[in-house]
Amino acid sequence: MTPNRVQRGAKKKRRLPLALLIAPVVLVAIGVAVLLALRGGGGPIIGGGDEPAPPFDFIVKPATAISTAPDADEAELSASADEVAQEITPTIDDLYTNAFLDPSNWRHDDYEEIFAAFAPHAASTAEQSVETLTLGATAGDVFDTVDPGKSKSKLSYQVLFDPDGEPETAVVSVIFRATAERKNGTYLAIVSEGEFFLRQIDGEEGWTITAFDVMRDDHETEPPSPSASPSA
Amino acid sequence: MSVLAARRRAALLVALVAAWIAGSALGATQPAGHASAAPLFQLEPAHAEYVPVLDGSKPIYVLVIGSDARPDQEVESQRADSLHILSINPAEHRASIVGIPRDSYVEIPGVGQNKIDAALFYGGPDLVVQTVEQLTGLKMDYWAMTGFASFEQMVDDVDGLVVDVPFAMSDDASRAFFDPGVQRLDGDNALAFARNRHDLPAGDFGRSENQGRLMVAALAQLKKEFNKDPARLLIWVASFVRNGTTTLAMDEVLDLAFTGTAINANKVENVVFPGGTGMVGGLSVVTLNQETLDAISKDLADDGLLKKANVPPSPNEPLLEG
Repeated sequence: MTPNRVQRGAKKKRRLPLALLIAPVVLVAIGVAVLLALRGGGGPIIGGGDEPAPPFDFIVKPATAISTAPDADEAELSASADEVAQEITPTIDDLYTNAFLDPSNWRHDDYEEIFAAFAPHAASTAEQSVETLTLGATAGDVFDTVDPGKSKSKLSYQVLFDPDGEPETAVVSVIFRATAERKNGTYLAIVSEGEFFLRQIDGEEGWTITAFDVMRDDHETEPPSPSASPSA
Repeated sequence: MSVLAARRRAALLVALVAAWIAGSALGATQPAGHASAAPLFQLEPAHAEYVPVLDGSKPIYVLVIGSDARPDQEVESQRADSLHILSINPAEHRASIVGIPRDSYVEIPGVGQNKIDAALFYGGPDLVVQTVEQLTGLKMDYWAMTGFASFEQMVDDVDGLVVDVPFAMSDDASRAFFDPGVQRLDGDNALAFARNRHDLPAGDFGRSENQGRLMVAALAQLKKEFNKDPARLLIWVASFVRNGTTTLAMDEVLDLAFTGTAINANKVENVVFPGGTGMVGGLSVVTLNQETLDAISKDLADDGLLKKANVPPSPNEPLLEG
């Protein structure tokens, strides 16, 4: 066998596997497109899925420090309490964004992301209360958009310090408001109010929700003023 | 449709109590790091050799010791002016309070027969625990001790206790002057209410019941405030920690406080071991009714709760009926 023949033979052998590889790729691409079409409801099919979540941040009130040391430096603790609030706030921002604002979650009844904020025992309870803690399983069938608008959503913190001045437990009181437009053109004010207890669990990074008491007070509302633009 | 539900609530704090407790108790190994030369209030595990089970699977027994130490005295070197077993059934959100008359003439381990209030003087809280355990057969999980000053301060820190004063009181010795009815008592008045025995027909028996009444009031208030604003729990815990000392981790103190928020105060049985009074060697003593003592102790042992059949008559019955 000459070298040329070997090369030709090799090329000939490669043509068949390439053809076999292309076919499954095409099939998978078609499958993905079909899946997106089925899952997306009224959402876009081609061009990258759902819209991004609208930008959202809670307004954070000054935190209250609760001291357990009789001779605590109140100013120092107050500053530490604000630091704790700064550490925790992104967790709560993300929790509410994922639970109420991110179309890729509420359109598809996919709220798995929110449970990462909870300690394991609390997460299992949170899963049982997903309808209260999120926009709900059927939100994708009901709503077109959810808009936090000019946020009137607020967080206020109370932080308990141990006698050494280390933050032990934080309670964050939440008032979250958004406006959801239904597919039939009516509007629902989404209101979530409650408290979350957070601790720094041994062996875990950051603050984790260990208990909560959350209430929903949704109600019918008028369309937002024309200047407000729905973000999702 | 579920998303249209106007008002719904995930009231999971109470439901989470057991889980919260179980979760954090595992990590509750660091002492709070707060010590005081003359502790005003202490809460400690009753035994060093085992960890109390706080997951709701068994009752929790707390021996509450009121020392007659004045502000300038060490609580441990005085007598136990009041003794109560607080038994909590976390799973059922219920509790029982059993007062032990301070003059109860009992066997104090290593000391011999004596009034039970002397156990604190002879061996501190540990000996009081041993004595009560020997008397009742119940194994205590914690003991908590307070003196006059810290009791007052704690009550003031939570803005007073709302107490249903069951009958009029007028006692110069304790400065207890109350009309019957629901009223908010500040620390000074709560202490007076707890100390009054001179104008009670059954003396210390009736006083012990009234002290239990304060505990029930505290539990009711804690629950009420917690339900209204869960963050109030932090104020209560802070008040306790600020006015006392403990080797418990803050997590565990919080867990116990959470446990307290779950108790339905309306269903707390508040009783006192009955007995008769007499003299032994010049000492005025109480001989406990052994049959009732055994029945109550046995009843508490299984689930921490007292059956109606084992609830003795109130020592304040003549006043309550009046």
